[in-house]
Amino acid sequence: MQSVRAADGGTLEARDVHVRFEGVRAISGASLHLGQNEILGLIGPNGAGKTTLVNVLTGFQRPDKGSVWLSGRNVTGRTPFQLARDGVARTFQGVRLFGGLSVFQNVEAGALGVGLGRHRARERADEVLQWLNLASQAMARADALPFGEERRVGIARALAMRPRFLLLDEPAAGLNEHECDELRDVIRDIRRRLDCGVLLIEHNMAVIMGLCDRIHVLDQGRSIAEGAPSDIRANSDVKKAYLGEDFV
Amino acid sequence: MIGRMEKAARLIWPVLSLALVLVVLAALLSLGPMPLQRTATEAFIRLIVVIGIYIFIGNSGILSFGHVSFMAIGAYGSALLTIPPTMKKIVLDLPPFMTALQLPTIPAAVIAATLSSIFAFLIGVPLMRLSGISAAMGTFASLAIVYVVISNWKEVTGGASALIGLPVYADIWVTLIYALLALGLAYAYQESRYGRRLRASRENEVAALATGINVRRERLIAFVFSAFIVGFGGVLHAHFIGVLSSSSFYLDVTFITLAMLVIGGMNSLAGAVTGTIVVSVLGELLRLIEAGFDIGTVHLAAPRGLREVGLSFLMLMILLFRPQGLTSGREFAWPIAPRAG
Repeated sequence: MQSVRAADGGTLEARDVHVRFEGVRAISGASLHLGQNEILGLIGPNGAGKTTLVNVLTGFQRPDKGSVWLSGRNVTGRTPFQLARDGVARTFQGVRLFGGLSVFQNVEAGALGVGLGRHRARERADEVLQWLNLASQAMARADALPFGEERRVGIARALAMRPRFLLLDEPAAGLNEHECDELRDVIRDIRRRLDCGVLLIEHNMAVIMGLCDRIHVLDQGRSIAEGAPSDIRANSDVKKAYLGEDFV
Repeated sequence: MIGRMEKAARLIWPVLSLALVLVVLAALLSLGPMPLQRTATEAFIRLIVVIGIYIFIGNSGILSFGHVSFMAIGAYGSALLTIPPTMKKIVLDLPPFMTALQLPTIPAAVIAATLSSIFAFLIGVPLMRLSGISAAMGTFASLAIVYVVISNWKEVTGGASALIGLPVYADIWVTLIYALLALGLAYAYQESRYGRRLRASRENEVAALATGINVRRERLIAFVFSAFIVGFGGVLHAHFIGVLSSSSFYLDVTFITLAMLVIGGMNSLAGAVTGTIVVSVLGELLRLIEAGFDIGTVHLAAPRGLREVGLSFLMLMILLFRPQGLTSGREFAWPIAPRAG
């Protein structure tokens, strides 16, 4: 099943990934695959290993066991910038903008990072800023932005890379309801316009349930369930993981 | 049409304004007495070194205490390529082909600066793996190594005794031209895709990696390029003084050039230029006070060391109250406000 998917071009996969931090198991046996043109939700209680898994998929964390596959090629151990150039982009929970640079330069850096020259990078930055309604902020310093816009610039920077896979680490955290709605539109738009697979880590269930084609559930570093939103909502293991034994 | 011209003006203004300041300064100072001209020439040479250091430190955000070693390599390299063979035979003990070799000054300068770059590449490959304080200490170690080697390699550098016989050609106009070139190259680099990628990594290394930037490689490019410019500064220093001794490429120059960069603001080219001018002028004033002056029969003089203490004090004040330097790390912006709409 998985090899068939790999053959048609677009998948990002984690296979039986294990990660330990000084003896503590952060991930012990997580496997997921993300296809192009799909939105996959990644949920789980705090400490389930969601961000660690994203770090493994983007090359920031080397797995102790298991492997990462990009469109049928084993890319375990590749560096973050190599994976980024191969089309895997991400955002960070802590946003991590280039604080002293302008919004425009932040977004342009995404295009420059994947190898574009200044001229084309500038065009692409303009395009993405228009798209995400940031054009009026282009000359503002990134570290002077309000929180919601900061997050949007983080997504814009990743989009300027024209990724095939985009991993969003809690993009809705701290956003108000209106901003959440906007974010939902943006993510739908990303799939439509870029033909890009989106992995979405999120605690906001309205965002997750409303957007995702499939949802993958991690608990204590293990993949415990995967399926359509309606299946996940009904799954007793998931309830147990979130609410504890007593509530089931 | 006007829009496009304004865009071009905006793009080149940050470097054009600095170039104009330098040209005006040179024109004014060239009218002054010889000692003043020599002071100005020395300041232009310092400026080239500071611009070179800025290319690395300013764009990468990594401190280097080692760049003066590139200056030394440039200076001694050019000396070996330009001192007349008869002179070399007396003061040095080189292999015959090196003794016989004498090149015109410009090719010698380019080769010597290239040697600095090659050395920077060799030490840069391991050093660029480091960041923060360990990178700074690593570059300092490389400075110490070059200093000790030059001080003791009698056959090639003359060791502890001064190396003499260099053609002296660096006057105020020559150094001005090279300073303008350095300025233009530094600006072209920081506006290039390489410069932009490195500046992004300066702001956030992790995010830079996530956007596909090979941070280590970008740092190495800047390191090697900056070594070329600093090496060229060393070459001009050699052919300004005409005499080389290893002690002129160690802690004093390291301190003063870094002070210039910090005081001006190390995140912008405008900072490098401003810092060099301010520190040069102030240093000169303090030196004059130190030398003292006569009122009638009374000779008034400040205690020795006033210059060093004064500059250190200024740097301390800047670090405390204006940590981004006098320019706040900004370039000089096009003075005309954009039209509405």
